[in-house]
Amino acid sequence: MRKFFNFFAVFIVMRVGVVGAGCSKFGQRDVTIQELAFEAVSEALKDAQLSQEDIEMSVVGCVGTRGYELMPAVVVNEYCGFAGKGPIRVEAACATGSAAVYTAYSSIKAGIADIAIAIGVEKMSEVDTATSAAIGGRAGNYLWEFHFYGTTFPAYYAMHATAHMAKFGTTEKQMALTAVKAHRNAAKNPKAHFQKEISVEDVLKSRMITYPLKLYDCSPIGDGASAVILASEKAVKEHGFDPVWFESVGYSSDTSNMSMREGYVGLKATRMAAEMAYKGAKITEPLNSFDLATVHDCFTIAEIMAYEDLGFCKKGEGGKFIENGESDFGGKIPVNTFGGLKAKGHPLAATGVAMVYEVFKQLREEAGNLQVDLKHYRALTHNVGGTGHFCWVFILGR
Amino acid sequence: MIVESRELRMKHRIPVVKTERFWKGLEEGKVFKTVCKCGKSYYPPRAECVCGATTEWAEVSGEGIVECFTVVHSIPAGYEWSKPYRIVIASFGDVRVMGWSNEELKVGDRVTLYTAKDESGVWKVWFKKV
Repeated sequence: MRKFFNFFAVFIVMRVGVVGAGCSKFGQRDVTIQELAFEAVSEALKDAQLSQEDIEMSVVGCVGTRGYELMPAVVVNEYCGFAGKGPIRVEAACATGSAAVYTAYSSIKAGIADIAIAIGVEKMSEVDTATSAAIGGRAGNYLWEFHFYGTTFPAYYAMHATAHMAKFGTTEKQMALTAVKAHRNAAKNPKAHFQKEISVEDVLKSRMITYPLKLYDCSPIGDGASAVILASEKAVKEHGFDPVWFESVGYSSDTSNMSMREGYVGLKATRMAAEMAYKGAKITEPLNSFDLATVHDCFTIAEIMAYEDLGFCKKGEGGKFIENGESDFGGKIPVNTFGGLKAKGHPLAATGVAMVYEVFKQLREEAGNLQVDLKHYRALTHNVGGTGHFCWVFILGR
Repeated sequence: MIVESRELRMKHRIPVVKTERFWKGLEEGKVFKTVCKCGKSYYPPRAECVCGATTEWAEVSGEGIVECFTVVHSIPAGYEWSKPYRIVIASFGDVRVMGWSNEELKVGDRVTLYTAKDESGVWKVWFKKV
């Protein structure tokens, strides 16, 4: 009999749903890391109509290299009321948030918990910009790259930009258009780091950070937290939640050394993660399958490469894709409707969780004046760690 | 109200025993990669291949092609001594090499490499146009 059940269990696909989500205001925040995390956690708990007692597993995502708490998981976990439940602390550079969500998802899939919370929190504004740049530059391989050549994080993406411009004729103006779109959406999002619209001229005239990326091509250094509560299908039934389901999950990674990559006009980790996610959800036409997507636009060139690597357009046509308005509201696939990393903000570990927050709000039609029209009731999140050092692609549906 | 943390300063002692040939090579004007009999080449070099065998040292030389570059204007901590610097990745056959250049290189340019100290006294790879 037991053998029969074990055999049967293999074929039961237990779905995992998002049942509550919260997000703090992003930006320069005068609160501690634990206070910041609690803003997102309390919103998520309230959203799911749960209390701390209902949560069986807590995952704390934090890169944590810029804040005064170097090992912040227990501090965050205690303050949020989860002492005794986890915390599992995860780190995957700028994809830490997705790593946290994936860990919570996995714990439910594995039957370890029925309800788990994934928290992504980052305090980046406690150190000066030069220090922050030196820490970000260590997101690749310190010894062989930053140590010799001062490869800052913007520099890694800037090298992709020069390769993309040379091969496909992508222009600084096309890159600027992604920043303009991001600011236009963020202006309507009260939680965004920036709430000001900008023009292409503003981007092109802004201070050079690392050629060809200028200040307004770069996501800001800021603070923020986001939290999502995940539940098993069993818990969904018991509690009567209105979930947004994970339809599939894709992930991949790549070399730490940029010099070991095959090329610089895209991110292989994105292509691999997307392929895995599309296969899992049986998606053959990415452009005609989603109501929206959140893509990892830490720099403007990153969004252009993401369109291509996710299969929304052909390689090399990302510049045209933004120019034609395909990624805007009313376009074929609205991208980064809440303002993206570029303008909503990019507090590293908060980002991946905030992407799930965004598609959760959109698919539940709770996005207010940023609501997209729903046809497919399906959305995609794309979160990159480092320069394609990690990548997660989630497909969620309702 | 803001409270200042206690100061914490970190400078790491990094063991490069296994790749000493590379570090000494820079001072002799040579840039080494490693190759394995299984067919893999490594740059940056590593003393053991993922297949488990010990790799052999080989010099990177000849002409390379610029794959991508940038000029860093926003200077990170640790590089305060530097004016804006140009980082280049160039392919040399089966490996790609990162370096600095004082010349205005473009993607596709042909380059050769040499080694020299930067202003902070660190030996590194530099590129010049052919």
